[in-house]
Amino acid sequence: MKDNLRLSDVSTVEGQMVSIDPNTLPELSLDVKAMPWKPFTEEQKENTACILDDVCVLNIPKPKNKQEEEELVNKFLNGMRKLFSKENNWTFLPMLETSMDNCVQCNSCSAACHLFEMSGEHEMYRPNYRSEIFRRIYKQYVKKEPLAKWRYGDMGLNWKTVARLGELAYRCNLCRRCAQTCPIGVDNGLIAREIRKLFSQELGIYPRELHEKGTLNQMKVGSSTGMTPEVVKENVEFIDEDYSEITGVGIHTPFDVKGADIMLLHNAGEIMAWPENIAAFSLIFQEAGLSWTLSSKAVAYDGVNYGVFYDDAQTARIALQHMMAAKELGVKKIVIGECGHAHKALTVIADRVIPFEYQVPRESCYVTLRDIVMSGRLKLDPSRNNFPVTLHDPCNAVRLMGIVQPQREILHKIAPQFREMPCHGVDNYCCGGGSGFAIMTRNNIDEWRGNISGRKKMWQIGEAFKDCLGPETKKYICAPCSNCKGQIRELLEHNDLYSKNSFAYGGLVELIVNAMSNTNPGFIKWEGDEE
Amino acid sequence: MTTLFYILGYLAVAGFICLAYLKIKSYMAASPLHVRWELYPVPHEGAKKAAYGGSFMEEKDWWTRPRHISHWGDIKGILVEVLCLHATLEHNPKLWLRTYPFHVGMYMLMGGTIIVILAVLAQMFGMDPQGGFMIFVSNVISAVVLLGAFCIVGGGIALIQRRRSDAGLKKYTTPEHYLNLGAFVLFGLLTLAAWAFNPSYFELARTFIHNLFTFTFQPLPSLFFTLNLLVGFFLLIWIPVTNMGHLIMKYFMYHDIRWGDEPTNYNDKNKEKIGEMLKYNVTWSADHIAGDGSPKTWVDVATTNPAAPKKED
Repeated sequence: MKDNLRLSDVSTVEGQMVSIDPNTLPELSLDVKAMPWKPFTEEQKENTACILDDVCVLNIPKPKNKQEEEELVNKFLNGMRKLFSKENNWTFLPMLETSMDNCVQCNSCSAACHLFEMSGEHEMYRPNYRSEIFRRIYKQYVKKEPLAKWRYGDMGLNWKTVARLGELAYRCNLCRRCAQTCPIGVDNGLIAREIRKLFSQELGIYPRELHEKGTLNQMKVGSSTGMTPEVVKENVEFIDEDYSEITGVGIHTPFDVKGADIMLLHNAGEIMAWPENIAAFSLIFQEAGLSWTLSSKAVAYDGVNYGVFYDDAQTARIALQHMMAAKELGVKKIVIGECGHAHKALTVIADRVIPFEYQVPRESCYVTLRDIVMSGRLKLDPSRNNFPVTLHDPCNAVRLMGIVQPQREILHKIAPQFREMPCHGVDNYCCGGGSGFAIMTRNNIDEWRGNISGRKKMWQIGEAFKDCLGPETKKYICAPCSNCKGQIRELLEHNDLYSKNSFAYGGLVELIVNAMSNTNPGFIKWEGDEE
Repeated sequence: MTTLFYILGYLAVAGFICLAYLKIKSYMAASPLHVRWELYPVPHEGAKKAAYGGSFMEEKDWWTRPRHISHWGDIKGILVEVLCLHATLEHNPKLWLRTYPFHVGMYMLMGGTIIVILAVLAQMFGMDPQGGFMIFVSNVISAVVLLGAFCIVGGGIALIQRRRSDAGLKKYTTPEHYLNLGAFVLFGLLTLAAWAFNPSYFELARTFIHNLFTFTFQPLPSLFFTLNLLVGFFLLIWIPVTNMGHLIMKYFMYHDIRWGDEPTNYNDKNKEKIGEMLKYNVTWSADHIAGDGSPKTWVDVATTNPAAPKKED
């Protein structure tokens, strides 16, 4: 295991290349426990390329002989050639090429990266570490530039390099905070995503949570949660019943209303994990008198599009289904629920991937909700929210789309004790679950999220509430994104911060409903509150 | 030998223009219409929104509203970045202390070159080469060259020193980084030598550029200035083929990518571009794309469902 890591170590070191001692990680004001890494089993060590750090996302089978080793390398190089061809990568090629050619290695990006900082500034988590390996391979083995070894540095290419590079692409949350700080405009987040894409689209190597259980499952049964259209409609009906009772207001969630103004696109994970979010949206839209509907068409009742994390083909397929469902219903616009990556996939990426005939305008729910709240269509009593509230900014909706103020305008109106986290808005930090991590729990991935990737978020939360830490004051972390909520839930649960600090977390809509004076009080629950 | 020297001069200038053109052409050819990949703040969203990083997507029914683009915001944004190296100052101040003088030195010498070219043109159009205005220009150039060369040498040496001493930077530094910085330091030193050992640097530069413009291949009177120019010729060719090409590409990396938030205008031209790209042949090999192995376009890929039950033969 190497401490003084060099770039070339990815091709030379035998076995696991690095290990981070969880006890050496930066201290936080919140009582966050280090999570010890579980050792890989002998079977894993024997059969799987878990040779990067204490985590293993891709489970790449270890080549059994020289021929298999060469095959892995050759497939990788073939993929790299395709990645740099217009026909195979017209979507991202200009951005990729400029990021490959213009980095001056100033490492200004390092300080911006929460993974680098919260790993104790471990060399391997520098945003440029993986990019530079990828760059050197490209110049030396694909472009075959004269004097490449001398000009860019020699990089050994063997199966270990390939396996470690694939794994390294999954030590990045794709939050693009590093790209925001680059003086030139180089994008290490993009390079990480392009490596993921190469592995998925050429080698058929991806995290099973994103592919088999994610995009493929969504295309097979209708949702990455596994819910079929019938199950979704049934569950939403139950949610309507339950929350009609809880709120004292009859809730009806409409499905498949032709000609409605709005098709609301939820992350279907909310239906299973956070039904209060579904109910809150329905209640708000209903009370505001909107003309709206959900779709029960397969794929279109789940705004999830994990393709944006690893694969262009899957991204386009799912985005197309979302648009086609809206077209069939004849709605005027799609409103995207509290899911950051769904915002980005459908609003920004799909803008130039889906042909004009299928385009339907898309709007963020933060904007729609701001319009409802500010228009006075709801009876709101902010004193019901008289507890400290802070806001997490989902990277996809905020830094990558510039939707910053609408959610703040709402909070200023309904939450008297709203306070910002340090480094908020477009300077925010990822929750640590971004780019697919929030839905992965095996091979020390949850330990990775708890120890390193989510650590900066815990620092931000601790700083936002530093005047009222402890169990006495109830506090609310508003995280209007499904994946971010999943990550924050794990962080709070693992460290018992619900009881130690009286934290509750949830979305924006829950806070709005909590302030609605025509509903029963106490929509938001803290630990110990009666159900 | 003198003629060869001048030919090298022409080749260096032509080479720089051609290589810069090829670089830009290659960027433009990489995709008729790449996806949007913006990053906020975007300065053309207007001063109010740019201050906190907001976008047009914060507006209700944004597609029905006219777009207000602040071109001045973009110009101001890029000027602040280029002239002050603002991002480096904000995120890497230790490096900024070294790289800022280095860049300012280059800007001064580039600006000085432009002034000398204008002076030569003025002379060719009849201005008295020994007149009062030219004497003023000569003094300006003298000051600019001296200061600029000092900045390049000082900044360049400081950057080399930082690359050698900073553990993080050292691992990412290759011989080419030292060559690039070393060439600039040498260029700066030769500029200083030519300045110090000749009565007027302006006179040397003006004579050389006048000779270039009039195809008068006369020997140059200063060895230091000749060497100074030779290193300059090398840098002109070398810059576009290295990571220093960011001099040319930064415009696109900012304006077209980072700030490229323009919602797609579905005019005939763009519809044609998107249609053309969707017909590209896809050769990715993974099962969920290649499927049965038959040739596919992006339209085929996007409209097939790899999870659909397989049809029985």
